[in-house]
Parts: sequence; structure tokens; C-alpha cells
Amino acid sequence: MTQTIDISRYSALTEAIRTEARRILSDGTVSAVIGYTSGRRTGAVQPIVITAADDADKLLFTAACVNNLAVYLTKAKKDVPKRGRIAVVLKGCDLKALVGLIGESQLKREDLYLIGIPCSGVLGSVLKPDQELTTATIASKCCECTDRLPQGCDFVPAVDLPSPVPLEQRYAAEIARLEAMTPSERWEYWKEQFSKCIKCYACRQVCPFCFCEQCLCDRNRPQMVEQSPRPSGNTAWHIMRAMHLAGRCAGCGECERACPMDIPLNLLNRKMAKELKELFGTEAGFEVQDKGPLTSFKEDDDQSFIR
Amino acid sequence: MHLEKQKHDFEPKIIAFVCTWCTYAGADLAGTSRMQYPANVRVVKFPCTGRIDPVFILKAFQQGADGVLVSGCHPGDCHYIAGNFHARRRFAAFRKLMEFIGVDLSRIQFSWVSAAEGGKWVEVVTDLTERVRALGPMVEFKELALEEQWSGNLNNPELQAVYEAM
Amino acid sequence: MQKQITEANFRLLLDSLLLKGQRVVGPRRTAGTVLYEPLSSASDLVMDELPRRSAKEAFFPVCEDLLEYRKEGQQVQVTDITPDRFPETVLIGIRPCDAAAVPVLDAVFSWDYNDQFFLERRKKTTIIGLACTQANDACFCTAVGLSPSDPKGTDLMFTPLEGGGFLATPHSDKGEAFLATWQDRFSEPDGSTPLPSAQPAATPFDLKKIKAWLDEHFEDAAWDSIAVRCVGCGACAFVCPACHCFDIVDEGTEKTGKRRKFWDACGFWKFTHHASGHNPRDLQPKRYRNRIMHKFKYYDDKFGQTLCTGCGRCIRICPVGIDIFDILQDTENKG
Repeated sequence: MTQTIDISRYSALTEAIRTEARRILSDGTVSAVIGYTSGRRTGAVQPIVITAADDADKLLFTAACVNNLAVYLTKAKKDVPKRGRIAVVLKGCDLKALVGLIGESQLKREDLYLIGIPCSGVLGSVLKPDQELTTATIASKCCECTDRLPQGCDFVPAVDLPSPVPLEQRYAAEIARLEAMTPSERWEYWKEQFSKCIKCYACRQVCPFCFCEQCLCDRNRPQMVEQSPRPSGNTAWHIMRAMHLAGRCAGCGECERACPMDIPLNLLNRKMAKELKELFGTEAGFEVQDKGPLTSFKEDDDQSFIR
Repeated sequence: MHLEKQKHDFEPKIIAFVCTWCTYAGADLAGTSRMQYPANVRVVKFPCTGRIDPVFILKAFQQGADGVLVSGCHPGDCHYIAGNFHARRRFAAFRKLMEFIGVDLSRIQFSWVSAAEGGKWVEVVTDLTERVRALGPMVEFKELALEEQWSGNLNNPELQAVYEAM
Repeated sequence: MQKQITEANFRLLLDSLLLKGQRVVGPRRTAGTVLYEPLSSASDLVMDELPRRSAKEAFFPVCEDLLEYRKEGQQVQVTDITPDRFPETVLIGIRPCDAAAVPVLDAVFSWDYNDQFFLERRKKTTIIGLACTQANDACFCTAVGLSPSDPKGTDLMFTPLEGGGFLATPHSDKGEAFLATWQDRFSEPDGSTPLPSAQPAATPFDLKKIKAWLDEHFEDAAWDSIAVRCVGCGACAFVCPACHCFDIVDEGTEKTGKRRKFWDACGFWKFTHHASGHNPRDLQPKRYRNRIMHKFKYYDDKFGQTLCTGCGRCIRICPVGIDIFDILQDTENKG
């Protein structure tokens, strides 16, 4: 039974974001605000960087605000102006990624003005942006979200969220379904999925944690992962990306949302997050951690698998 | 003690990624002690297990390995103090990923073998070799390497046979 | 001359083609996504959804082998891929925006060098188009001089009829030959009215005016604001029916390997990265500028055509909502 998700508060959020952006740009608190604005098509949304207080009315927040704007703050995106303090509009999931970036010394908290958005969820796909937010169209990541109210921000609109509607835990269900399969069934599943990949690297380019100056896959001396978009090279690429994100990925789900071929990439990342939480007790959150699970260790870490 | 050299149909390719200071020295000790063990293992020497990137394990399978062994110093004995502690966590995570993708984990073995444990080296290598021999060749990656995206598929007898079967 | 075919006969025709061992490629749902892929039966065909990727991969594969090398001792054996290995293909259900890109690709692949890998596949393919009766807000074929019923690039064009079935109009010798070979599936047109064509709400652009602005504004601050959100993936280039850049790499070991050709995109940072380390398009606005320039200026300069058919896939698929129609509209207003 599909239920509509109540996003009537989003217009109040839009007003609050505009007012705050106008204020902090006029009084010079920040030199730029990275937020969302409308696109040409009905319901379409795109990221925008505004530097003038007069442009504050371009900002908005709707259920189509799927982008993780933290990606524009990383060193990988050299064209986004980084003079002075920058404000950025963040949902809870986006904030967790940003917190991770601060933990990895990629960003300094004092250079940022965080506008946190209390969020009831966003669409899972914006191929058709003019859609109602329902229990069917909501993003899978939102179904498992426990971080609707961002913490530790400089400004959070005083807008009450309606109580969350019960949602099917899609990732947990799918991970359980795959875990119940035999290894060869799982291999067939991933082979079918990775055969769709065309190596467009949308997953990598929207990911805030993929900020390496030169990605492993772009090197040919040595060539550890094939560049060609064939099932073999694709499998290697996705395995290594999941490994490089393990313990860092905040679950913003943008990789899966951005994939033009509908490959369930966040499944891999959620599985790794689940395993690392079980193994080492850490997960992405609103508190800055100096070291992630794979850049630290304990003397008594599990080694039952080691002979 | 000499083991009888048996003739087998399938000789698995085992790649062993080992650390210089402990496992490599342990393997060396096995050799100088004239301990016999299957010659299927190809040893790749690293300064430390901490240097072993999971991509090497993946690449080994892609290049035709049937089984992979990763071995280093016991925790607390690492020549670089903490390399094997980091490796321990990394491999715990990588194992889970490999399992989720559908790779048979019994083909991947992790071990701590010290420089004095020539005997353990022999045991670990022999057990892995025989286990992988029983499992058969690792066909998944080899078959995957032959797959092409439909548009790159050429007219070949297999394609004809598929159409004939319809 | 025009013929008509019923739904039932169309399915039978497809099944007959398949039984003959003919490769038939058409829109098909694969692992949840509709793509142009080889069909294994007529029931695979999906006719009410635009495939996520274009049909260019039938001639310009996502990834293809060019040659194979093998080293034995001191001898190196090189085996070329020869055109006789490319299968005969019938492309079915190809939308006008995809079919119109084929002559556009023909121009570049037979320009200063005849790319046999493209041209031979092209020779062996019959393109059967399908006119559109629906459009959505991302479609803009009408804005770039095309239409949802334009037969450009097709050998045979199917137009859906009221009451079911299709009108089949040949537009080339190949199309005529196809109708002749399968004449018992087709009948004479009985005067049924075609379904109304789709109406994309996109008025024609003044492409000359847009080009005139592009001619004069290579250096313009506008590129920074247009492209600031571009994250530099290749999604737009890869789903585009007209984009055709590729990379050639050798993959293998010193003993054996293959030379492969696969899709590349000007949005990637590596696209113009020189071996010296210098990159003339080192920032994303420069890379995005190239996309617009290539499509609406350079290609026109060289071939007198626009490198865009208005399919709207890039608009739908862009992870950051970049809308090429919006950009073109703004450019037209600026000029």
C-alpha cells in the first residue's frame, strides 16, 4: 500500500534557507552558498553556487534535492570557488559525508557554514523529477535513515518534521536476500549487474570520498584495474571502489542514484558498513572521528579467520 | 620425511603474498630444512602485510590464480610495529566483500607465520593447495574475462549455436 | 512503396528473423533497465519506453577488440579482427532521435579515415525505425530540426496506426529489400490513420544564432557558471546517440593480450591530459565548454550538421541536473 510522504514542511524549509542565505551573504559571514535551485523541467532541481545576497531567492528545498553538495567542497572539484567561508546546504546523509571529510583532514570546520536540513526524505530517482514523494518513490537510503535532524550545524531551520512513516528496510532486505544465496548465485547476480556498467564513473564523480587526484582506475603504470567497460573490468572496478570506501562511505546513496544503468551500488557500500559496524563497532555519524575503522586498529581485533 | 610425489590432473596455481621479515623467512627456513611441500605456490615478497593492497588479491584471481595465501608476522611482532594490525582489519573487510560478490572464501587463506615456523609454512601451503585442488580451477574470473558486452560480441560459432537452439 | 503490418504479423516476423539465426536488436528490459539489446524472442521487445542508452552501440560498441597479440618465445603473433566476424543485424524499434544520429556518425567515421569497425558493422545492419507517439519534458528533437516521425537514418520506418499495427515506409534500398524478402508478413496499406505523432513542447532553436554566439565566445565567464555543477562523469556522452569519442588501450600481459577500443568522454579530466602532464582542459568549465562547442559549433564547421538529435537522455541522466536545452535557450537569448 503506497503512502504519500508529508513534505508540506519543505516550503517552510525553502523560506528559512533563503532568509539565512540572504543574511550570511549580506553581512559577509560567507563568500558563497552552495545550495539547490530549480531546473527547467517541472520538479527538476540542480545544485547552484550563489555569491550575491540577491540570488538567495533562487535557493529551495524539495523532495528532488537528491544531490550531496558536500562533493563540491572536496579538492577534486577545483572549479568551485573556495575563497573565504563557504555555506553549504546539507541533509543528514550529506552531513555525515562532510563529517567524514573533516575527519580525513580534507575540510576545515571553520571554513564552512553548515545549513542543516531536517529532512523527511527525497526521491530515489530524478529521471522523472515531477513525482510525488511516496513510500514507493522515496530513496532506499531514506527508508533506513535515523539521521533526519542534522547535528552540529551553524543553522538548522526551526521546522518540525512530521513523524516518519514506517518504511520497508530495502537495503537490509536485499542484503539479507543476497546473503542467503550460494556464492555462485551471488556471483551471477553481480555479473548481471556489472555487465550493465559502461564505466561512465558517475558513481565516482558524485562521491564526496572519491577525491584522489588520480584514481586507481585511471592509472596504467601499474594497471591494477582494467579501464575497459567489459564485465571483467567492471567487476574489478566496483569491488575496488567498494573496498576504498569501506569504513568511509556515509551512505548518501548518490552513487546508486547517479548511475545511468541502475546498478544497485549502494548495496555494496551498505553491506560493508554493516560488516564494519559488526567487526569494529564504528559507523558514519555526526561526530568527527580522527580515524576511521580501517585507518586504526585495536590489539585485540578479530583474527578468527587468520590461521 | 619425503612425501610421495603424486600425479594429479589439476595443479592449482597458488599465489602467496608474504611479508619479508616473518613469513618469507619462515618459508626460507622450510627450504633450508629440506621440508617437502607442493610446488604449486608462487611467492610474492612484500616488506609487510600492511603493504598488501586488496587489489593484488583480486588481480591474482583475474590473472589465473586458483587460490591466494596472505601471510605475515604475528600481531605484536611486525617489523614495522603496526603494519600487520592494519592489514588484519583490511583483510577482515575484504573477505566480507569477496564473500558478498560470490567468491568462494575457501580459496583465500590468511595466516601468521613467523620466521621460526618453517613447519607451519609447510602446513599452511599444503592445506591450501589440497583444498583448492579439491575445489577445482577457479573458473569464475577466467569465464568473466571472456565475456563481452553484446555490441562487442563477434560472430562466432557459440553465437550461431545459441540461435540454432531457439 | 508503403506497406502495412499487423501487430501479430510483426511479432511473427521478429520470431522468423530470430529463427533464421539473424541477430535482432531492439529495446529490451535487461536487469530492470530498457536498453537496445539482442532479442531472444519477439516478446522481449519493449515499445513504450525510450531505451536508457542509444542505438549507436550497434555500430560503435561500448567495448570492442581490435586485435589480439600472442608472444611465443621471440615470435609475436598478431591476429586482426576482420569484418567477416561482425554479425548481420536488424535494428528494430529505433526511435527517430536515435536513427537520425546514424548519418551524423557516418560522417565522422568516414572522414579522414574510414573506420572499418564502424563502417562494416553499418553495412551489415538494417535499421527499422519506430515513430514516437509520446514525448516527455526532456525530449527536444523538434528544437534541433528533427521530429518524432522523421525517417532520417532509417532504412524502413514503422508508424503506429490507430487500431494497432504499423505503416511501413522504406527509405532506402535496404528497406525496399527487407520489405521484398518478408513480403508475406506485410500487406497493402488499407487507409488506417496513423496515431498522432508525439508533440515535444520544444520550439525550434535558431541553431545558426547559437553557433554565432559560440563562434565569438570561447572565453566567456558564462562557462564557469554553466559548468560549475558538472562533476566530470561521462554519463551524458555515453547515453548520447551522437557522441563518438573513444580510447584505444592494450590490455593483457607481456605474453598475450588484446587491443581494445571503448567509449571515452570529453567530460573526463584525463581526456586531454598530455603525456607531459599538461592538460589544456584542466578545469571542468573548459571540459564542459568543449561538449557544447563540439555539438553546436565544431561539428557544424566540419560537417554542416549538428551533433545533437534532441533525444533528451543527457538531461534525464545528468547526476547534477545539467539541462542542455536550458543552456541552448540561454545562449540563443544572449546572441
